[in-house]
Amino acid sequence: MSAGSHKTYRIPIGPVHVGLKEPVTTWLDVDGERIVKATVRPGSIHRGIEWMARERNPIQVIYLAERICGICSFTHIVAFLRAVEDAAKIEVPIRAQYIRSLVLELERVHSHILWAGVACYTFGYDSAFNLGMLLREKVMDVLEALTGNRVNYGVGTVGGVRRDLTPRAAKAVREMIQFYRREFQTFLDVVTEDPIARARMRNVGVLSQEDAVKYCALGPTARGSGLRVDLRHSSPYEAYGDLGVTPLVPQDYTGEVFGDVYDRFFVRVMEVVQSLELLEKIVDGIPEGPIAWEPKLPKVLAALKAADGIGWGIIEGPRGDDTHVVKLTRGEENVTWWKVRAPTYANAVSWPLMFQNQEIADAPLIINSIDPCISCMERILVSDARAGRSEILTRANLVERCREKTRRLMGA
Amino acid sequence: MTCRPQYVKECKCPDEVMSCIRETLGESLLEMEMRERMDGMPRRVLYRDLWVHLKREGFLKLVDRLMEIDFLHFHVMSGNDDGEVVTLNLHCSLFREAGSGHRLGVTLSIPIPKDDLVFPSLSSRIPGTEYSEREMREMLGIHFEGLPNTDLLFLPENWDEEIKPWRRDETGPSPESIRELS
Repeated sequence: MSAGSHKTYRIPIGPVHVGLKEPVTTWLDVDGERIVKATVRPGSIHRGIEWMARERNPIQVIYLAERICGICSFTHIVAFLRAVEDAAKIEVPIRAQYIRSLVLELERVHSHILWAGVACYTFGYDSAFNLGMLLREKVMDVLEALTGNRVNYGVGTVGGVRRDLTPRAAKAVREMIQFYRREFQTFLDVVTEDPIARARMRNVGVLSQEDAVKYCALGPTARGSGLRVDLRHSSPYEAYGDLGVTPLVPQDYTGEVFGDVYDRFFVRVMEVVQSLELLEKIVDGIPEGPIAWEPKLPKVLAALKAADGIGWGIIEGPRGDDTHVVKLTRGEENVTWWKVRAPTYANAVSWPLMFQNQEIADAPLIINSIDPCISCMERILVSDARAGRSEILTRANLVERCREKTRRLMGA
Repeated sequence: MTCRPQYVKECKCPDEVMSCIRETLGESLLEMEMRERMDGMPRRVLYRDLWVHLKREGFLKLVDRLMEIDFLHFHVMSGNDDGEVVTLNLHCSLFREAGSGHRLGVTLSIPIPKDDLVFPSLSSRIPGTEYSEREMREMLGIHFEGLPNTDLLFLPENWDEEIKPWRRDETGPSPESIRELS
């Protein structure tokens, strides 16, 4: 714990912020400002959702799955639906597959812009944060026009989707694509080209490529470490086989990989641009046809009751691959068991590596850099066991420390 | 045994992987199924999932053999109390970085007898399995041999560790401990 004659302090971060799905406690052992060890303890708000599903049929579980996360809610239900469809051998019509991919990409756009904005806010770049939030409203409006909701869209069902893509909604998507092509570059430039933003993110929270493999990192966290891994490419699902997705890695743009917060930032913002291309291909190429395997719900439920087997659904969500496994038993209406693995579950395993030898001021940025579904910095208790004193740092104190570092870098 | 942490860039064909599994497991292989996942326009096979049911004895040997093919990417463990046994499923991937449509989903499904709920930990081979092993330990009561950290992961600190939430027998939650909200 202690390094030479230096005192080591243990700082617990977290655990709870209401309204977010995965609050986490992190204990940081610090020597001065430097983090020497990090320990992560999730579970503060484990809701037993998988257990609750044992008393619900697959259609009811859709709405449970949708509430696992407010940001990637559609990702969760598509992963769940694909697991159910795998177990029950249900074929999804092609138009429904395109609509699912459309909503998934819209969700990726809003998730990545939200993350990028919040990252800027964390290190005190409020202008970029406000610009990001302003830009994000456009995709939220399109999601509302398409589904009726800004969050928890309620458009997925077993064997298809519940809302068709109308010509009016398709027009809104096209307008949104044009809007982002005009406006998003500004956001990209003001952050990636800004020397202070670069200084705050470069060489901070590094995850090497080898560690990303060993610790099973996912999504932009893995791609930020240079791994060309993307389920839309390596095992295409829904319409992605027709769209041709290439994993986006920093070395293709900058010639090298650092595996730091900057690379993770860069991957996400560039993926927004990539998603716009995919959305355009979807709207241009969506085929006509039915949007559900069987529109009558009692027939779907009867087919699910007759199904027997385990199904596996795995898709590339904004934060990484989302895995759902479902067991259906013949003659039983309810799901026998269900396992959900959200990407944060996997990415959090590599957090302690990212914290090593970093400054406390960088801790919020590192926590945010895997885009966790949590807000764990509600309060921080800094305790000094030897001196027997303790001091509570609020989230505001922590953000202020982070911003103070930016001011130091700017020489203010 | 340790494997160099990197992914192969070229895949093997699924049949070759299946023969390799058959050869490695011998009598420890209970059943194997290849599922073709079809999507897109025209509808075609876009990737494959391999489901391998095996005895516990063959597990480590198989993992080591698969790690020679490619670094086994671990997704998650699922499991269920199936009466006499607890079934543990490890969901993994091969050829994650080997090009479009080449990823092979691999599920290893192992029945573990309830009177000997012990399973080898993979944490020294694949550190990314830590959370899942800790979760299966606290939820289903499986003891992972060699797992360095056995602290509770998702359950609260004051949880009675005799109660295994996902078990369906007397070690599971009793009806009195369940509070219905509606």
